[in-house]
Amino acid sequence: MAAAIETRNLTKTYKSKLRGNVNVVDNLNLEVEEGEIFGFLGPNGAGKTTTIKMLLGIIYPTGGEGYVLGKEIGDMDVHKIISYLPERPYYYEHMTGLEILRFYGSLFGIKDESKFHALLDKVNLAADKSKTINQFSKGMQQRIGLAQSLLNDPKLLFLDEPTGGLDPIAHIEIRDLILQFRDEGRTVFISSHELSEVERICDRVAIINFGKIERQGKLDDLLRGGRNEIVADGLTREFADQVQADLKDSIVSFNAGRLIVDAPEDNNVNTIIDSVRSAKGSLVSVTPRRRRLEDLFIETVNKPKEESK
Amino acid sequence: MKTTNKSLLGVVAALAVGQGLLHHNAIYPQWEQNYAPKTGNVVGSLAPDQIFLSLFGFREFLAGILWVKADGFFEDGNYDAVLPIIRLCTLLDPKQVDIYTTGMWHIAYNFTDEDNRSDRRYIPVALALGREGCKNNDYTYELFFETGWTWFHKIQDDFPKAVYYLEEARKRPDMLNARKNVLSQAYFRNGDPMKAVNEYLDLEAKAEDLYIREPTFPNSQNRDTVQKNLDNTLVRMAQRGWFAQNTDQGKSENWFSKYAYDTKPAFDTNFSIKVTVVEPNVFRCEGTWDVLPVGTRIRVILKDADYPNGRPAGMDWEGGPNTTVQFEPPKGITYMQDELYVKNRRFNKKLDLSRDPTMYSFAKDKYVLEFYYTPRLAPAHIQDKFGWNGEGMTDSLFLNTAIRPGQRVMYCKMDISKDMIRRRGEFSMQGGKTPVLKTPNYRETGITKDPDGEVIDINIAPLRSK
Amino acid sequence: MGAISAIARTTLGEAIRRKVLLIIMLIGILFLSVIPAFSVLSAKSELTTMISAMFFVLRYTSALIAIVLTVYMLPNEIERRTIYTILSKPVQRWQFLLGKYLGAIFALGLMIGMMSFLMITMFYLFQHPEASKMFELARQALLYFVEMSLLTAVAMFFSTFVSPLVNFFISIGLWLVGTLLNPLYESISKNNEMAPVLKSIFSFVFSLLPNFANYDTKNPIINPGQAIQNETIYYLKITGYGFLYIGILLILGILIFDRREV
Repeated sequence: MAAAIETRNLTKTYKSKLRGNVNVVDNLNLEVEEGEIFGFLGPNGAGKTTTIKMLLGIIYPTGGEGYVLGKEIGDMDVHKIISYLPERPYYYEHMTGLEILRFYGSLFGIKDESKFHALLDKVNLAADKSKTINQFSKGMQQRIGLAQSLLNDPKLLFLDEPTGGLDPIAHIEIRDLILQFRDEGRTVFISSHELSEVERICDRVAIINFGKIERQGKLDDLLRGGRNEIVADGLTREFADQVQADLKDSIVSFNAGRLIVDAPEDNNVNTIIDSVRSAKGSLVSVTPRRRRLEDLFIETVNKPKEESK
Repeated sequence: MKTTNKSLLGVVAALAVGQGLLHHNAIYPQWEQNYAPKTGNVVGSLAPDQIFLSLFGFREFLAGILWVKADGFFEDGNYDAVLPIIRLCTLLDPKQVDIYTTGMWHIAYNFTDEDNRSDRRYIPVALALGREGCKNNDYTYELFFETGWTWFHKIQDDFPKAVYYLEEARKRPDMLNARKNVLSQAYFRNGDPMKAVNEYLDLEAKAEDLYIREPTFPNSQNRDTVQKNLDNTLVRMAQRGWFAQNTDQGKSENWFSKYAYDTKPAFDTNFSIKVTVVEPNVFRCEGTWDVLPVGTRIRVILKDADYPNGRPAGMDWEGGPNTTVQFEPPKGITYMQDELYVKNRRFNKKLDLSRDPTMYSFAKDKYVLEFYYTPRLAPAHIQDKFGWNGEGMTDSLFLNTAIRPGQRVMYCKMDISKDMIRRRGEFSMQGGKTPVLKTPNYRETGITKDPDGEVIDINIAPLRSK
Repeated sequence: MGAISAIARTTLGEAIRRKVLLIIMLIGILFLSVIPAFSVLSAKSELTTMISAMFFVLRYTSALIAIVLTVYMLPNEIERRTIYTILSKPVQRWQFLLGKYLGAIFALGLMIGMMSFLMITMFYLFQHPEASKMFELARQALLYFVEMSLLTAVAMFFSTFVSPLVNFFISIGLWLVGTLLNPLYESISKNNEMAPVLKSIFSFVFSLLPNFANYDTKNPIINPGQAIQNETIYYLKITGYGFLYIGILLILGILIFDRREV
């Protein structure tokens, strides 16, 4: 499969009076396959939106190169087959949903009214087509945004925080739409920090921190090799403190004689069980777990900047 | 991209040069000619804030508003406040003809004393305003006409000036036909009836033409009036011996000495006068003028002996300190002009200048009183005898042919001092002498009764029988 | 072309709904409506005061609308991120800028048109003028429209690289200076005491800055009867000048905007 997005050492440096040169995006190497849902994760300010803007040709890289659907970034021809839904987008408030679609359609030279109606139908806004944007709820605004992003039947969609600030029902609606996009053969590039959403729908993810890719790969691969949860009763706080001191990578919690250890897979479970027994504690359960994306994310971004470099 | 940018910058440079050239060579000259406020002419006389205001787009608006304000001041009689406003208005919008015409008229006519005598010290200012208005509004007849009218009607002297401005007005296509009559009148006053005749002929042709095109009653009346004026003029020219004295045939055949003309022999007007300073700044003028028909007005002038640009029986109206339009009120100089009306061959008039101390400050020591009569201003029935230039007029003591070249006028001048006028020193009201100035031919009856009542003091010679 | 006109139409639709512009226009309309009532106070200068005051209001209101309309146009698009949805479509930046400019011009034309219509109607009702006079008023209003189109281009140019507030003051300043250039040049060229070097410098600056004074031709309307030579050619020339200058500003604006990070 060809790469829908490929970057090589893509860099964006801003000059700052206080901090000198700041690499907002630092030698980014990204690869997104066609037909997959790709999650682009990172904390606020990590460089997600800057990367997307560079890929869209809205801002210019200071170094490296990038290709979108086989063409160099900034190539106008690519804009005909991609689309972008920014985070919390604003649409001209005086327009109705239909007018919004007409406006964005005309930017592609699309005048087919039936297409606009079909899209409204698809995002479940057909009944509200004559309402103006200022009468729309946040979810409706996001859905009209998705509709406009489908106008050109794009091969690649960039969605920036597509579920940000939405209620749970709207979440589900948007999630279903995105999954539908993949089924239609489109590539979807989602930038988000709503990890549970990403975990549910993405095929592959990349985690970016301080402008650098920290992790990249298939979700299954990244989360494989999970953790073990060991629960024991009848122990003292001193014992719990001792366990925490011994096992730096584990998360240890203690309450009313019950000890819960959340330990990485590579920690020896038997060693923990042995010490519980020797302290006259009783073992309640040992549960092996697949890692959650949240864990991976926190593990990745909690590293201080120096270490991450 | 880079090459596109460079070529676009090239286009910008070319466009920039293009717009600069277009503006500098094609637009600005036309703007300057047609739409410029002409502040360049007067920029020296404006304060910086006024220049600033005048340069912004609302100068016409400001001028209009200020002019409304000025009108209000005129109605309140606050004339001194009006002058700077007029000046500012004309600087702000030198194309507002109304401000010039009305302003000039106000300045020349409406600065008056308690007896409605105009303050003629302002007339040079009015004329200067007129000249500036003509220069800034060369396209219209209006300011030329208004300036000509000031010469013709207000100054009533230096008639070539009136003729010049009215001729300039006539050259402009927007001059109203009705106003062209004034030019004929100016030609008469300039002693040039033949030009008046030509003007009437021209007007007659136009009136006839108009009547043929639009045969209405007013148009026929208009034509008839012009024809009547023309007829009258020709008859008068014949009767007054003008053709005899001014045509080749008349001169070569010696018509004037051979035939009877109204203007011969010359009539002696026998001017005499006595001026009494009855109270400080109050004068009584009594005297004789032997012309029985009503309609004689003898000009009387009281002015500083060293009045700036003064000259006999008037001043150089265009000269002096006020040749430019600057509206400092004239201070410390005095100029009074009035007329003595003759009735039953005598006149008697009280000139009370005591009520207008700012206009008649009498700040100098020496003054002159002048009495002047020119037949150019006489009504037609008197002019029939005197002729346009005074050919039929003489005065045994005061005939003068020097002060107004080409005219035979009556001119009498008397010196008078400040003490006499103010009744101070030896002329004090408390027991001093009453200042009296009189011509040697003044004959009193000695039976004066009431200075304000019927004149009985002058002994008039009996009417000469034919 | 489709993209440009779509952006222009949207800009127009948005501009005519902006409250601040409507308020400015309403204030202008209010002034235009009461001017005839004030002018009757002065019988003699009624016409002068009325025409000049009406044009004064029309010109200054239009300038304010042009500037307020334009200075926020690009920054608002960026702040509300609408620009991203547009530029991620096959729309070039120059098309975006041109569309925005044309939309602003249409909006401005509409507002000036409404005010002019009111002005001419009021004038007709109070003065019963000849048709030619009405035509002259309409023509001056049209020239103001050309002037304001140039002013919009100035504000548009600066909005590609300075903040709205700074742009507001720069544009107003340039406009005021531009309305002074001709009279100032006239005064200076007649001032014989000024050093030739200074005169040349001023002459250079004079031919570089946008000249707004050209468009104020109301004096002959206020003081009728002046014979203006080649009037039509003059109007054509200043319109051509406007187009040239607008071209310069838009190209420069596009060059800057093209490199700008949004």
